[in-house]
This record gives sequence, C-alpha cells and structure tokens, in this order.
Amino acid sequence: MLSRVAERLYWMARYIERTENTARLMLVQHHLVLDLPANIRPGWDLMVEVLGANKVFAALPGKPTEKNIIGFLFGSRDNPTSILSSLAEARENIRTTREVLPTETWERINSMYLSVAQRGARGLPGSIRHKVLNDIVQRCQQITGMLAGSMNNDAAYQFIRIGRNLERADMSTRIIDTASARLMGDSEEILPYRNVLWVSVLKSLSAYQMYRLSVRRNVNPEDVLHFMLDSRIFPRALAHTLDEIDTSIGLLPRNKEPLAAIAGVKHALARADPATLRNGALHAFIDDMQLMLDGIHNAINKTWFDPDNGK
Amino acid sequence: MTRAVRTQAIDWKQYDPGKFYDELISSPGHARAAARGVVSYLQTLTEKHLQNRQQAADLAIKEMGISFTVYSEGENIDRTWPMDIIPRVISIAEWRRLEAGLVQRLTALNLFIDDVYHKQRIIKDKVFPAEIINSSKDFLKQCVGARPKHGVWAHICGSDLVRDGDGTVYVLEDNLRVPSGVSYMLENRAVTKRVLPQLFRKHSILPVDDYPSQLFDMLTSLSPRQSRSPEVVVMTPGIFNSAYFEHSYLAQRMGAELVKGSDLVVGDDDCVYMKTIKGLERVDVIYRRVNDDFLDPEAFRPDSCLGTPGLLRAWRAGKVGLANAPGAGVADDKVVYTYVPAIIKYYLGEEPIIPNVPSFLCVDEQQRKHVLANLDKMVVKPANESGGYGMLVGTVASKAERAKFAELIEKNPRNYMAQPALNLSTAPTLCNGRIEPRHLDLRPFILQGKSHYVTAGGLTRVALRKGSLVVNSSQGGGSKDTWVVDTEAK
Repeated sequence: MLSRVAERLYWMARYIERTENTARLMLVQHHLVLDLPANIRPGWDLMVEVLGANKVFAALPGKPTEKNIIGFLFGSRDNPTSILSSLAEARENIRTTREVLPTETWERINSMYLSVAQRGARGLPGSIRHKVLNDIVQRCQQITGMLAGSMNNDAAYQFIRIGRNLERADMSTRIIDTASARLMGDSEEILPYRNVLWVSVLKSLSAYQMYRLSVRRNVNPEDVLHFMLDSRIFPRALAHTLDEIDTSIGLLPRNKEPLAAIAGVKHALARADPATLRNGALHAFIDDMQLMLDGIHNAINKTWFDPDNGK
Repeated sequence: MTRAVRTQAIDWKQYDPGKFYDELISSPGHARAAARGVVSYLQTLTEKHLQNRQQAADLAIKEMGISFTVYSEGENIDRTWPMDIIPRVISIAEWRRLEAGLVQRLTALNLFIDDVYHKQRIIKDKVFPAEIINSSKDFLKQCVGARPKHGVWAHICGSDLVRDGDGTVYVLEDNLRVPSGVSYMLENRAVTKRVLPQLFRKHSILPVDDYPSQLFDMLTSLSPRQSRSPEVVVMTPGIFNSAYFEHSYLAQRMGAELVKGSDLVVGDDDCVYMKTIKGLERVDVIYRRVNDDFLDPEAFRPDSCLGTPGLLRAWRAGKVGLANAPGAGVADDKVVYTYVPAIIKYYLGEEPIIPNVPSFLCVDEQQRKHVLANLDKMVVKPANESGGYGMLVGTVASKAERAKFAELIEKNPRNYMAQPALNLSTAPTLCNGRIEPRHLDLRPFILQGKSHYVTAGGLTRVALRKGSLVVNSSQGGGSKDTWVVDTEAK
C-alpha cells in the first residue's frame, strides 16, 4: 500500500473522530449551561481551552462571547480545529483515497461538509444547536460504523483504526486535564453541583451510561478518572485506545519503532495510579501522556508516511 | 408535481433527421438493419416510459458515482456524467472494416514516431517535410534514439471518427497523448444493462467489458522484467484533473496502484520505485496520465510538481515501461494528421482503409488562400490543442470572429489547419421527453503493445443542443452507449 494513501486514511479517521468529539463536547456544554446557576456555569471559553485553541482565538478580533466562541468552534475557517475545518480536511483526504474506501464514505462526508459549510456563516442559534450538533455526532458514528462493517481488515483499515484511536486518546486526555483543573478545587460554590459537573465530563466522553454499568457507585472524581484512564473495556478510555492502537500496529509491516513507542505509553500508564494523583501531579502526568501520544504519531509518521524514510 | 407528457407510443414517421445521415433510421419510419431491434422495441414504449427509463439511468449514474470534474471559479465541481439511454448502433460488417482501419492507422503512426526519433527515413525519402518536425513543439529532443519495447510509442490511442452526410466515415483526429473517455464507455454499457435489460435479449451485442484486462495485458507486455506479475501503476496528476474519475476507475479495475508523481522515486540504479508502507517497491510499467511537459522536471518543465524527477532517464535506460511513451505526441498534431494517408502508404504500402477529412494546411500558401477565402465554410483548428479549445467553426462564427482568426492564421500559419465543415451524422436522442435527432461522433480506443486490440465500438459523444456540433462533455455534450450488433448471429 502506498505511503501517501496510508497517511491520508490515518488523517481522515483522525478528522472524522475530531469532528464527532468537538460536536459532542459542544453539545454537553450547551446542556450544562442550561442546568447550572450562572455563577457556577463553566463559560464557553473553557471549550476553547480544552481544544487547545486559545492562541488562535485570542489573535482574532471578536470578543469571547458565547456567540463568537460557538461560531469559532463550529463554522470558522480561521480555526484549524473547528468542525468545519476538520470536515474540510476529512473531505480532502477522502477525495484522494476514494478508490480504497466504500463508495458511500465520500457521499456521506461530502454532504455533511456541505451542510456545515452552508450553516457555518449563519452561526448556531440556541434553538437549533442541539439538533445540528447531535446530527453531526450521529453522522460521524454512521461513517465509523460503515467503515468497521464493510472494509477489509487490511492495512488500510489498520491506519484508520490507529488514527481514530489516537484522536480519541488525545481528546480524552484533554478533557480530563481541563476538567480536573477546574473541578478538583472543591470550592464551596462548586460542591453542591459537583455531581452534575462530573456527570457532564463523562457525557462529553460519551461515557456516562457505560460508567454506570461498569462502576455501580456514585459519580466521584476518583472513579471517573480511573474509568476514563484505566478501563480496558470502554472504547474511549485511554487504556482501551492504546490497546487498539497496539493491535493495529502489530498487524502492519516494519512495525518495530511504533511498537516500542506504544509499549512505552502503556507501561507508563500501568505504572502510574493516576486516579490518586491530585492537581499539579495529575496535570503533569497528563502532559507526559500527551507528549508520549505525540511520540506514537511521530514513530508512525517516520516509519510509514515519511517519503525519505522509505528504504 | 410531475410534468405532463404525451402518452402515445413513439411514431418514427415523425422523426426527421433532414439532410443528415442518421445512424439508426434510414428513411422516415424505416430502421437500418442493425438497429431494427432497438427501434421496434422503442416503438412499444410511450415517451413517458422512455422518460422513466431515462430517470432511472440518471439515478443509476449518480449512485454509481460516475462523474467528471469541471474546474471553475476556484472550486472543483464533480458533475454527473450525462448519458442518453437510446444506444447508437453499428453493424458488425461496418465495424470490422473500421476496426481494421484503426489498427492500420495506429501501426503506421507508431512506425512513423519510431522513425522520426531515429533515422528519419521518411524525411530523407522526401515523403514528409523536415520543417514540420523541426517546428513541432511535440517533437522532444530528449527522446531521440530511445528504444521503447516492441518499437511502439503510442500504446493507447483514441481516434475520433465522424460520418458525413453521404455516409462516409472519416478519422477526424488521433489522440496519442493521454486520451480519455474509455471509463465512460464502460459505465454507459453498465447503465444500459441496468435500465434496458430487455433490449439485450433481442440482439447479439459485442461486449466491451474486457477493456481493463486488455489494457492490463498490454501494459504488462511493456515490462522490462521477465516477471510473472509485473508491478503496473496508473499515474495521475491528482484530483484536480478533469479525468481523475477515469484514472481512479481504471486503477481499480486493473487492480493497479493509483500513484502521483510524488509517490515515485528514481533510484541511482535508474529503476523506478514507489513509496509504500513496506518501503520502496520496484515499478515495472507506468500508465501515465500526466502530460509530457509535466512528467519529469529533470528532463522537461523544471517547475512541474506533478511528475517524478528521473523518469525519462529510467525509461531511456529500459528500466521502466511508459505508456504512452514520451514524445509520442509528435504524431498527435493537426498538421501531421494531414500526412497520415501518406504515412500509411509509406510504411505499410497500403491504401488507408478509413479516409482523413480533406484538410488544408495553412502553412502552404495556395491552401492558405483557399482557407481564408472560404472561412465561413471551414472549421479551423490549432495544431496542438484538444478538447475543442481554440478552434473556429466558420459556419456559425460571427464576422468579427472570422476576421480575428484570419489574422491569427496570417501571423502563424504553421499552427493552423482547416477542414470543410462536415454534416455530422445524427441519432435519435431523448430531449425533454421527445425523440429528436442530435449530432454525434465516435471515439474508439486502440491498444498496441505486443499485439493490437480495438474496443468494440467506443465512446459515442452527442451534442445535446439542437443543431450543435460540439460534443465535448466540458461544453454541454452528452454520451450514448455504443453497440456493435452482430446481425448474422442467432
């Protein structure tokens, strides 16, 4: 399989996953704002922080109002991680790999891109916000399901699986990082709403229901962190995404370096007991994890995508 | 709301192609022998039925993702391929003759190209003027002395055939660079089978489906290595190319990798490799859909980022097969075209089976005078353009346009040739629910490697606007499935 095609598929999967995750994150925030009193409500600026887009946003002229931030996260072409930009990237990657993907993939992505691009300039007023964001989540899931259900499990599919899971790992660690920094304070104002807030963290990772099924205790920070980081059965938990990446890498040729990189991250995760970590220590740990995830990407890039490393 | 349509059966007596030769109907109410089945079947349908079938075909085309790309206003638009459901029919007897003529033509053209890049016997024997080669921008010095396998340079040729009012079929032009359209020929057949399956039972129609495997076999015959499974790839300029659909389609049908220039490298050993997840893998044959200019920045345009540096070097060293060979375009020149009958006689000692359209070379003073005096009856073409661009159709052009062209011709006569405007033949075509005659041409595809192959029929392009002669899909043309019907088979 061509390196270029492998790289395109990997990025396509990352961008589809990123679209879904961003939409879900916004959806949860949208509902959370409705549930909480004004002084407790996490502002929409938190979303910008979670998605690591502070600098980009600050450089733009608009003030950090709800309307501006939502526009920025949803339909802005200035924001390289907005839903519109992610879809545009996913679409470009599919355009050039259509011959290895089920035909419907292109149609689905294309129609989703067109509807977001059309809506993009007009913003996302509250009355339709739920429907539009929910639609995006569902359409992304449809594509993911279609690829899982109809593609040969060959090298092409492994690159898609790696991309999807690396992106999931990235988003899970981002959300945990921001949530714990804001919610671990146990300040008096937060305390009565702690439950609602941690539930929303779980929801933003699509994890609430599965957490309930698997943990069977009240929602508390330790259990949430443990579930989101260490669960090997929940698809968006860090440990599970690492297992998936590990399996896929194992099926590809010349995999020594990426295998070593993934083994390093798994080892670091197993050795730490992140659920017991607090504030600064937890943040430092997540930072390390993110760097190691970058390391996996670099190893993959160098081994399979980098043209000059071909020999 | 559905639009109101007439519901009575089609009356072929109402169908009148006028002074034009019609491919299906010989005189009002009478079908040509090979088309009798089609015409009588259509007679059993009402125009409403036909419209329903056409809608089913349009839907199938959309679902199958058959498209072509139009680049406009900075955006790429994938347009759905326009196909008319009424097939164009050719009798097998006529086709056998045309087929032989096409093979004869390509064989002679390949001998010509090979000669031009070696001893130039045809020039020394004063059959072909040296200045045409010397002034041709498609004659590539870099290719002089090269020895492609089997002595063949143009492996894939798409020749455009047209029929004049008296029924004579002419070759209008030979496309020897990177001719496109064959995927649409295949898809048109697939769509017709879906929407008019009953028709196939009444006829013995030659199949077209084996083109991808014929193409693949031809390409493997160019492999420099004696391997049982040589690595064949299709090289595309990328998604912005108007024929990207076809590149991707053919790669898929042949099970070949679809590569871009940047996916390939030429090693110090002059071999071509592609960059794969397993490392570098040797490539034996490249079906390149990138023009000569852009093929190799080391040999041709240095600013090209569509090609692969060193490709020409690898090809000259005999380490890779290139189809078509660089430099083959020298015979795909509207001025060289006028010499093809002489070329056939010179190399094969035969009379051309399919005639050229009578042509006037503007570089010749006598002929130029004739062209300039009769511009309103002529079609003037630049020597090196394709897709119907940069030409003048004198019969419909304004006085100002003709004056502009007269000036262009005077300024650069070598760049122009002219032909009398032909009365292109017509075929019944469904237009807004009615069957009307529309003008068409035919592009068969001819392969030459170790041996020859000609598609059964080819791609019929039809001008959908009433009276129009422009069949190019980028300019509002449509297409038809093309049937070679074996009337003797039972």
